[in-house]
This record gives sequence, C-alpha cells and structure tokens, in this order.
Amino acid sequence: MEISRRAFVKTTAVALASAAAAGTMSALVGCSAPSGSGTGQTTVAGATRTVGVCRFCGCGCGVIVESKDGKIVAVTGDPDNQSNRGLNCVKGYYLASVLYGEDRLTEPLIRDDKSTKGTDGGLRKATWDEALELVSSKLKETWKKDKSRLAFWGSGQQPIVEGYCTAKFWKAGLLSNNIDPNARLCMASAVVGFMNIFQTDEPAGSYTDIDETDTFVTWGANMAEAHPMLYSRLTARKINGTGVKHYDLTTLKTRTSASADKVLMFKPGSDLAIANAIANYLVQNNLYDQAFVTDHLQFKQGTENIGNAFEDGYDASDVGKSVDAVQSISFEEYAARLAPYTLEYAEQISGVPAADIKELAEVFADKSRKVLSLWTMGVNQHNRGTWMNHCIYNIHLLTGRYAKPGDGAFSLTGQPTACGTAREVGTFSHRLPADLLVAQEPHRRYTEAIWNLPEGYLDAIQKPGMHTVKIFREMSKGNIDFLWTAHNNWAVSMPNLTRFLGRGDKKGINDTFIVVSEVYPTLSTQYADVVLPAAMWVEREGQFGNAERRTAVFEKAVDPPGNAKWDLWMLMEIAARTLDGEKIGSKGAFEALFGDWYDTETHDFKGDQREVSRNIWEEYRTFSNPDLNEKAALINKEAKLKMENKQLAPYDAYIDDHGLTWPVREVDGKWLATKWRFCDGKQEDGFDEIGIQQYGKQDLAGGVSFYKSGNARPSVVFRPYEPPAEMPSAEYPFVFCTGRLLEHWHTGSMSRRIAELDRALPEALLDMNPEDCAELGLKDGDMVRLSSRYGECEIKVSTAGRTSPPHGLVFAPFFAEEALINLVVQDVYCPLSKEPDYKKTCVAIEKL
Amino acid sequence: MKLGGVAAICAAGIVSVTAAFSAVNAEAKALHPPGALPEGGFNSLCIKCGKCIEACPYKAIHAASFEYGSSVGQPVINAREQACRLCEDFPCIEACPTGALSPVGGRQDVRMGRAVIDEQTCLSFKGMRCEVCYRACPLIDVAISIDYGAREGDDIHALFRPVIQDACVGCGLCVERCVVSDPAPAITIDPN
Repeated sequence: MEISRRAFVKTTAVALASAAAAGTMSALVGCSAPSGSGTGQTTVAGATRTVGVCRFCGCGCGVIVESKDGKIVAVTGDPDNQSNRGLNCVKGYYLASVLYGEDRLTEPLIRDDKSTKGTDGGLRKATWDEALELVSSKLKETWKKDKSRLAFWGSGQQPIVEGYCTAKFWKAGLLSNNIDPNARLCMASAVVGFMNIFQTDEPAGSYTDIDETDTFVTWGANMAEAHPMLYSRLTARKINGTGVKHYDLTTLKTRTSASADKVLMFKPGSDLAIANAIANYLVQNNLYDQAFVTDHLQFKQGTENIGNAFEDGYDASDVGKSVDAVQSISFEEYAARLAPYTLEYAEQISGVPAADIKELAEVFADKSRKVLSLWTMGVNQHNRGTWMNHCIYNIHLLTGRYAKPGDGAFSLTGQPTACGTAREVGTFSHRLPADLLVAQEPHRRYTEAIWNLPEGYLDAIQKPGMHTVKIFREMSKGNIDFLWTAHNNWAVSMPNLTRFLGRGDKKGINDTFIVVSEVYPTLSTQYADVVLPAAMWVEREGQFGNAERRTAVFEKAVDPPGNAKWDLWMLMEIAARTLDGEKIGSKGAFEALFGDWYDTETHDFKGDQREVSRNIWEEYRTFSNPDLNEKAALINKEAKLKMENKQLAPYDAYIDDHGLTWPVREVDGKWLATKWRFCDGKQEDGFDEIGIQQYGKQDLAGGVSFYKSGNARPSVVFRPYEPPAEMPSAEYPFVFCTGRLLEHWHTGSMSRRIAELDRALPEALLDMNPEDCAELGLKDGDMVRLSSRYGECEIKVSTAGRTSPPHGLVFAPFFAEEALINLVVQDVYCPLSKEPDYKKTCVAIEKL
Repeated sequence: MKLGGVAAICAAGIVSVTAAFSAVNAEAKALHPPGALPEGGFNSLCIKCGKCIEACPYKAIHAASFEYGSSVGQPVINAREQACRLCEDFPCIEACPTGALSPVGGRQDVRMGRAVIDEQTCLSFKGMRCEVCYRACPLIDVAISIDYGAREGDDIHALFRPVIQDACVGCGLCVERCVVSDPAPAITIDPN
C-alpha cells in the first residue's frame, strides 16, 4: 500500500523556519546568547527560552527552544552545551516542527475487534479511565496467571526518570525481568564488550578526543550520515591539524569513505580477521606497549565455534549456555592464538590488501601518533558483535591507547539516551540501575537498600528475563499475553518482521494484548489493542544521556495537545491500578515504590514536573552516591562495588551547566565533570582525579588506572574469526546491509512528518552496484523484489552512488514503512549480546 | 485532442489573467527536458505536440505558461515541483517526433543547465550539516562535490560546502530536495 507521506505532513509556518534560521545563524556566527532558561535574547520577540537536547541521534546536540503562545517558534543550537557548542545538523535544525504533524495522537484509542490488527482502521476513541482500566486489568490478569507471559519493550529514547520508574515498576513491582529496550538492537554488543573487558559500561573518553587525535579509524560506521555533528568535528580536526589521517574500514563506500584518506573495503564479517591481524602484527613485531601490558592487562580466551541462533532453542542449548565462559591464559598463549592471523590470511578472508592492513597496524604502532577508533552498528549489529568489540579493544589495550586524550576506542551510541536511560538505568532483562546485574547477590542487596525493599525481596528476579528477539519470537508463537511498548516502532524496526508481524505461519501477535504508547500513528499502532497518546519531547520535562556520557535536561516548553499525557503519568496510573491491594513488606506496593512522588487519590504528581523529576533523580543518583544511604554505603564497601565510578550530580546542576559528563565530582561546592575516566590528572581539567584517589593507583603506565576492572586489569580476550550466519549462495546471491541516512531518524515516524526532511529524502532506495544492475537487467529507478529465506519486500533501485556497494552487496535504509525492508532481514543475533545482525542477510533480487 | 491544442486553449483562457502578471514578473527562464537542442535549434523544431509530456513517467514535464514569454506552450520542467530523473532510456527524447529533443549519449551528456547555489541562504555554507543537494545528486561527487573548510570562529566544526562542477547536467533534483524554502530554495538551475 502506497502511503503518501505528504498527506501527513503539515508545512510549518514559514515564520517558524525563518525564526529558526535567524536564531541558528546568529548562534553559528558565534553570537553567544547568555545561558540559562527564561533569560537572554530570543530570536523571536517575546518568546520564552528553555534549554533542551535534540530529539534525534546519540550526538546529543544541545538546543535552545523558544516558545510563544503555547507553541514552539524556534529551535537553535545551544552554544553552552559542550557536546555540540551551538551546532546542529539539518534534522535538529527543523526540530520545531516535530510536534506538529497533522495526525498527532491526542486521545486514547481502543481496538475492540482483533481481526482489524494490521490495518489502518479498527481503533476507536476512549477516555483515559477506560483505557487505563483496560490496560491495568490485562496486565494484572497476566501477572497473576503467569508473569512469564508479560513484557515491556522500552527504548534508548525514553527519558531517564521515565526509564528509571519503568524499571522500578517492572522489577520491584511486578518482580519481572521481561523488560528490554530497543537498545538491544543497537548497543548490546558494545555493552557486553564493555562489561566483559572493563566490568563497567560506556566509553572512557569524550568528544574532546576527536579534537586531540592524529588518526581516525572508523570501523563499519557511516559517521558522515549517522553522527553528523561529530563528523563535522572529525573533519575540522583533519583540516586544522597537521598530518591527521582517517582510515575507513567498511563493507561499502559511503559519504564517510568519500572524505577518508584511505578506505579498506572488506568482505562482510571479515573485520574480525583484520583486527586480529593487526593485533598479531603488533605482537609478533614487538610493537605493543609492554609497560601497559604489564601494568594493566590480563588475557583470556572463551568459548568458540558458537554457531548461530537460527533456532528458538539456541539460548537454552549447550552451546548457547556456554557462550559467556572465559578462561585466563598467559600473554604467550594469547600470542599463540593470534599467530595464524597473518596479514596474508587476513587478506584472503577480507579482500583487503595485506599492505593496507600492515599500514594500519603500523599506525597503531606509531608512538608519535594518537589513534582514535570509532564504531557503531557495523560492529554491533553483527553475529559476532561482542567479539568484534573485543577485537578492537584488544588492539587499543595492547598499544596503551585507551582512556587518554586523543588516544581511545570510542564506541559511539546511536540513540539519544541509550546510554542515559537503557544502559545507566538498566531497562534490560538482566540489569539493575548503574551497571548492576540481577544475577549478582550484592547488586540485589544494594538495590533493595536504595529502593527500601525487604532484604532478599529481589531474589525473585535473580534470573534474567527475555531479551528482545526472544520476546518477539515467543510472541509469534502465542506465548506472550501482554506487551507494552513505548518510544520505539517495533513493527518497522524489528528484524524478521515476516515472522513477528504474523505474515508467515506464526500469528501469535494477533492474540497478544498489545499496548503502544505513541505520538503519531505508526505500523506498530496498527497492531495495538490500546494506543496511549503521549506527550512528545519538550511537551514534558525529560533527560537524555548521550554518547559521551553527557546527561542533559530538556525542559518542558509547551503543553501536549488534546489529551496526550506525560508517559510518567500513564506509568503511575497503570502501576497504581495494577498494584492495588498488593504489598511490599508491610507497605502498600505502589506506596512503597512511588508514594513519595505520586498521589493515587488526586491522580497527580506531588509537585510540578521539575520537582518530581528532581526528587526521582535524587533517588536514582543514590546508586552512584552511596554515601546518601547508610545501608547502601555499607554494601558498597563490603562488596567492593565502587559505585562512585558513575557518580551523578544533583539534578539542577545539569540544567545550570547545560549537561555534565559523569562521573561528576563535588569539589569545593562545585560539581566537576569527568572527560577521561580512569585517567589521572586534575579533576578540573576533566581527568578522573577523584576516582583514582578513591579506588585507583597512580604512576602506572600511561597514567591510567582501571580501578573498576577485576584486579584493576581490563581483559584482552582472544576472539577468533567465525563467518557470518549465512554466506551468499546461488539462491540468495547478494548480501543485504541496512542502516540509517542523515535526513531521517530511524523509522521516520517523526522525521518524515517534518516537511523539509520529507522533501529532502522522500523515499527509501536500494543502493546497488551499477555492474550488478547491468547483469540483472536493472536500471536506476526500477522496482525490484528483495527476498531472503525470511521474507520479501519491494523497493526501488538506485545507482546514484550515495552509498556505493561493491559487487554482491546492496544497501537500504529503514525509515520508510512502505519499503518494509525488515520483512527480509534475519533475526540471527550475536550469541553473547543477543543483538541481531542487520548487516548481512543474504538476498535475491528480481525485477518486478 | 492534441495536448498542444489543449495548451493553446488553456493559454488563451489565462491570457487575460496573466497579462497583468507578466507585466510585473520577470520572464521565467525555460528549463527544457534532456536532449533539448541549444535554444535556437529547440525553438525552431519544437512543435509543442506534448508527446514528451505524456512520455515522462514522473510527470516532470508540463507545458510552459505565459510566464515563460515566448516559450509558452513548450515543454518545461519546474525542478522544485518535480525534477528530471534522468531516466536511462530517456522516454521523452524517444517520444519527440521532430528532434527538438535529440538523443544524448548517457546521463552525463545531458545539458539542461547548471545548478547555482545561493551562498547566503545555503545552510551548508554556514556549517550546518545539511548538504542534502549533494547526497541527492544522481551524479554525486561528479556534478556536486564537497569542499571542506574551516569554520570561522569555531575551531571544532568544519564547513561542508557543496560545489557545483562543470559536469552538472541541470536535472534539478538538488532544487527539488533543498530544505530551504524561505524565501526560495538555496539552489536553483540556470537553464541552458
């Protein structure tokens, strides 16, 4: 069905664009507006200024929002947010329109007839009371009958306090670990890599590394399109620095490759071999940092030949259960494991000339250079994504290039708050807040202390719940009775949609009671039994944590339209109704969890959004400030949790300072951010002085101290090359890679409703190699059927070369519902992280 | 009924309306379909039959209104509304009975005109990560390339300036896609 996006698009007032233009231009030309909300000059006369963060990617660009008469009238870059210093990309530039699409959801909707699922009809308006009663009664019913059959699918776009409360409700209220975020589809491999190697999540460095390095190495990351502001920063460094070089390792030529100094185009999946070959070269030729190895590292190897999760039973199989196991080995044993990865072997596997791999290895060895690796989905959305994260860190650890200005391995985050919320708050099936894990007893005790739960209460959730792909696989088989989703669009973004949307032989989705919190109608709302209209972006106060660990607040600027409500209000109402009559210890369950913040009698919060957010934040930050809670402080000490390594500041500091990168330390009454974790130096210069004083050791090699890692030693884990889940065959001869392009965010539910962005990129195209097209008799603009063993879709071909795939590879973005590429994409995942491989589905292409 | 005839009737119908119009508005410059012979040749051969208009699968071609002055009735493209998509088999050229639209070698040989960027209103020239025109261009890095440069007063961000090369064929997809509209797109086609 051809959906005309232009029908949904409301062209915002020309005045809007002009105001934004005037404002951002003045910001761009360095006209620094004074900081702080409410005060300072505005581009539109009489408007109110509020501080905010862009709604879109993980760059986390700060914005200043101007509103007047209840509407946003301008959005400009925030010169005082250190992540972007006033710059936005074209998505951020038109943010003011994002709230005003014509078809904004403003009333709760209920589907009475399940047979209408998957159509754009069948939903009728309802009151909040009816909708909330229905949702909570269904939730309670499933909870009481069999709580393994309920799930929440959250997001790396859900604001921090909302995620925190959702996690608290699900884990402490329902005692369920069936809560997982869409970040499982994007950052999970990076997270498991971090935890395996460092025993702490998130990068050590900051965006400042981009300004300081001499060499950029992008690994399967199209930064030019996916992290536009950071790419501008990278490009500035190349221009302003001397001899700065950029190596781009990629499976297809992109706009990032277009400006790189050297492109290493590798066969899909062979990045593992290349990385190991670099490590091998360094070790064999004695080019690694011996002092760093001696002072800081330990070596391991793990379970190998782990196959792929084609079958639902994989996780529970013997192989599946063994994937996390590792054993300690010596450095010599590690060297021996690397030895087969000669430059020639890597060339054979990857197609990259041995000389180029050698050149890159020499760069890592060059002590006169700083080297910064950057990666996102090419590495993470990979059937060996966790292993590939390991392999990149191995190189950086062997050469002592980590946690130092300009010398680092920067795992870039795609979503605006996958860090701030999903990862830091722990809305995962196996996590608790602040890097804690449900499976660890001291972690549960610690959480109980802060959440004021009876000791032992959380032992009921010591077993992790269902990860994302498992939730959807189980749902397709009719094993999920209740699903609630928010801040995502799973019907477009999940892989293997043919199965999960019930278009194949598995149709469990039709029977599952699905609740979707949303702002616009999407394909997901077409499968919902209840749609809850949500306040969007700055229609409520929220907090995001970006890729460089910067937590920032976006203030409420305008009211939500119609009967759309704050997600947190919906959560409180549903929690109150579901937990009615339940107890935790001797207290009413809801009262115990949320009573300080919400009044069930008045159906409202105790205080305005600022106060409530501040109060929730204060409890949340106790996790990283154990001295605020006596019991927690004791457990922190006894179990050596070192929770302060993620220290968060009081709420208002984030507003005053336009965002702060944690750990944030109190020094003489001021809250000072940290740019480089584990790196010794003055706290006021951004180094981890206080952390190292508290838990680390000074004067070690490189001036770093990995005080959070086991024995203060990060782990270099040998991981072998193992091939992709499937290789091209006669039946499916092409490798299909998917991803994002600059103009649109994710599934386009927001960005396609912005007239300018829709105009800029109105359709999703399949980028093909022109010679492959000629062989298939295809021309630019032809419609084709794309099919895999999972499903098929129709899409238009392009040979324009925005991305230029080599022979045998094709690329398409996932922002267009009418070109539903995820019907075709495999749901095979990295066995360790459970993150699907969106980059390497084998497909056939035929002209329509 | 021949489309040319329809155009003539329509033209007659709006003469009175547009007479005052053309008095105040500058004459719109005609962007003709691909293969159009240089101005003299095209003018003498085009019989305004409308076959190229019918043939275009994107409906990009329409009969020029009175704003185009003496080009009225000739096939023209309003790139902002719908650019020429450079169909590889050029059905418009194929359909032309007189050779006013003459075969070209390939897409790169088209000579409809050349894009021109207004550096005052272009977002990319201010350092905003836009360059939508560049990424939309069917001849990326050939017709439009990026000139990277330092940004004044900002040591951590760069300029990504789109630069139009001689190879630009004037298809106008950049114009269609430009995000700026107030007062006009930041990129236009200067027709041949």
